[in-house]
Amino acid sequence: MVVLREGMCPGLEEGLVRDLRAADIKTVEDLVSSDMEELAQKCSVSYKALFAIRRVLLAQHTAFPVSGADLYEELLSSTAILSTGNPSLDKLLDSGLYTGEITELSGGPGSGKSQVCFGVAVHISFHLKQSVIFIDTTGGFTASRLLQMLQTETRNTEEQMEALQRIHVFRLFDVYALLDCLYSLRGGGLQQASVGGGSVKAVIVDSVSAVISPLLGGKPNEGMSLMIQVAGVLKTMAKDFNVAALVTNYLTRSGGGEVQPGLGVSWSHIPRTRLLLERVDKAAVFSPSSLRSATLIKSSRQRCHIRAEFDLKWWSRSEDTSSSRKRKLEETDS
Amino acid sequence: MFGVNLASTLKMQRSVSSLNLNLSVRARLISAGIQSTRDLLHVSPKQLSSETGLSQQEALEVLQVVSTGLGGASISALELLQREEEEPKSIVTFCSQLDTALAGGLPVGKTTEVCGTPGTGKTQLCLQLAVDVQVPPCFGGVGGQVVFIDTEGTFLLQRVTDMAAAAVQHCALLVEDDEQRVAMTTFSVETILSNIFLVCCHDYLELLAELHLLPDFLSEHPRVRLLVIDSLAFPFRQHFDELSQRTRLLNGLTQQLIAMATNQNLAVVLTNHMTTRLQGSKSQLVPALGESWGHAPTIRLLLQWAGSRRLAAIFKSSGHMDSTIQYQITSEGFRDADQLEQP
Repeated sequence: MVVLREGMCPGLEEGLVRDLRAADIKTVEDLVSSDMEELAQKCSVSYKALFAIRRVLLAQHTAFPVSGADLYEELLSSTAILSTGNPSLDKLLDSGLYTGEITELSGGPGSGKSQVCFGVAVHISFHLKQSVIFIDTTGGFTASRLLQMLQTETRNTEEQMEALQRIHVFRLFDVYALLDCLYSLRGGGLQQASVGGGSVKAVIVDSVSAVISPLLGGKPNEGMSLMIQVAGVLKTMAKDFNVAALVTNYLTRSGGGEVQPGLGVSWSHIPRTRLLLERVDKAAVFSPSSLRSATLIKSSRQRCHIRAEFDLKWWSRSEDTSSSRKRKLEETDS
Repeated sequence: MFGVNLASTLKMQRSVSSLNLNLSVRARLISAGIQSTRDLLHVSPKQLSSETGLSQQEALEVLQVVSTGLGGASISALELLQREEEEPKSIVTFCSQLDTALAGGLPVGKTTEVCGTPGTGKTQLCLQLAVDVQVPPCFGGVGGQVVFIDTEGTFLLQRVTDMAAAAVQHCALLVEDDEQRVAMTTFSVETILSNIFLVCCHDYLELLAELHLLPDFLSEHPRVRLLVIDSLAFPFRQHFDELSQRTRLLNGLTQQLIAMATNQNLAVVLTNHMTTRLQGSKSQLVPALGESWGHAPTIRLLLQWAGSRRLAAIFKSSGHMDSTIQYQITSEGFRDADQLEQP
C-alpha cells in the first residue's frame, strides 16, 4: 500500500490528489480497486485520464515473471553452501547452510544451540574468510569461547585476530531493537559490514524466541505481527543479499508433555530447514556430557527425521585427536 | 521511472507496524493509508499531521523514529574479546574449584542461575558472592557494590557478618605491598555491610516494579557489580492461575535482566527451586519455572547432595565445559571441600 502523492505518475496532479482524498481515495490500493466510472464522475476528471493513471500505477507496483531457466542460472551463480564445520551436521543439512534461506536450530537449555552458532561463525570467518553478522539477544555471546575454537584451528595469533574481526556482533535485547537492526542491515548495513574483509555470508540470530516470546499471547496480540515482521525482513534479506540466515529457537512443552519448537505454528512455516538439538543422555539432565544429537524435523531436500550425533568438543578438539574423534563420529552415524 | 537502486528501495520499505510507536499513533497512520515508511520519507511534520490528524508534535516524533530507526553499531568479536579480558572479568568466589570450573570466577556481564533443593546452599552462595564482589582490585577482586533482592526473607545479617569477617581476615593475611595496606584500611566488616543494598520484595508485582526502577538506581550507583535475586522462583510459583502469563512475564523479565547485565556490566545471580516432573511412571527432579525459563540464564549451576558430599554442577554455559566440583559450607562461608587447598 502506497499513499497517493502528486507527481507519482503523469497526470496525477495536486488538484486531482485533493479531489481523490475528498472521495476517500488515499492510497494506490484504494484507487486501483475502486470503480473507475463512478470515480470519474465524483472527481470530475475524464474516465480516460483516470484509466491511464491506473494503468501506470499498476505497472509501477507489479511484480515481473522470471523464467525458470533464468532463475536456475542465477541460482547456480549466486547460491553458496556454507559448511558448518561439523561433518555430522553438514550431512543432515545436505552439506551445509544454504545462502538465501533461513535455517533454524531449536533445542532445550544447554542443548548446544549457541555452541553450534559459535562454531558456524568461526568456520565461516576463518576457513571461508567471509564476514558474519552475529545478533546476540540472550547475552550468551562469549568471545573467549570463540577464541578457544579458533585456537584449535590455528596457532597463528594474527589469523585468529583477523577471523574475530570478521565477526560483527550486535547485542540487542528487545524486538524493536532487533527490527531496527535487521532493517538497517537490509537497507545497506550489510554492504558496509563487508568493507574490509570478505562479504557478509551469514546472519546469525541467537535467539529469535528470546525477544519474541515475551510478546506472544498478550492483548492486543501485537507479538504475532512483530514476529511476522521479523520473519519477513529476515527472509527478504537472505534472498536479496544471498546470505544464510541461522536462527535459534526455544523448546516448549505441549499439553501432552511432548517437546516442540517454540513460537507456535505460524513461525514453523518460516525456516526452510529445522534442526532439533538434544542431549543424547536425556535421563541424566545434569550429567556432564558433551554428546548431543541433532534431528532434522523440516527440510525440502532431505528425508526428515534423520538423526545424527555430534560432540560439542568437536570445536575444541586438539589436532592430534581430531582424526580419531572423526572416526568415532562416523561410527555412531552408521 | 524504475531506475531506483535496490538498496534505497529496500531502505524505504518498512512496515509502520514494526516501528516502536504508540498504538494509537500507529492506528492513525494506518487509517490514513500509511503502511510503509516509504510514505514517510519526504514528508514534513505539517503535511503528516494534516493527512493523519495527529498533532504536529506527534507527527514530528513519528518522523524522528523513522529516521533514527536505522541505527545501531556492531562491535567486532575481537573488540568484545579485548573487553572480556580487560575489564574486571569475574568475581572470585572463595572456592577455588568453582573458580577454576568457571574460568576465574562468576563472570560479570552475564546472568547465572543457581538451583538446588532446600538446604543445598543457594542462599549461602549468594551471601558469599555479596561479600566477594567487594574484595578490592589489588587482591584480585572487583571492588564493587551489590544489590540484593530478597523475596523469601532469608537474608541473614548474622551470616553476612561472619562471612565478611572471614573475608577481611583472609585478605589481611595476604597483604604484601603498600597498595594493599591502603586498601585494607577501607575493607572492613562495616564497609562491606554498607555496600550491600538490600531490597525486600514480597510478591512478583513488587519484584517487577523494582526491576523497572533498578536501571535508574544503577546509573546513580555505578559501582554496583552484582545483582542477586534470592529467590526468583518463590514469587513466581504462587498466585498464577494461568501459566502462560507467568511464562510471558518471566520472558520479559529475562530480557530486562540481560540488558541490565550487558549495559551496566553487572553479574546477575538468580536462585531457583527444584520441582518434580512426572513422565509416565518415572519422576525426575528438575529446576522450577518451566521449560522456556531454562534458556534465560547464560550459566546454570546446580547444587546438590551426593551422599555426604556437596556437589555443584555447571550444566549450561556458553563459555565453559559441563563439569562437577565439590564444595562445603563452613562458618566462614562457601569454601572448597578440602581445607588445605583454600586460596
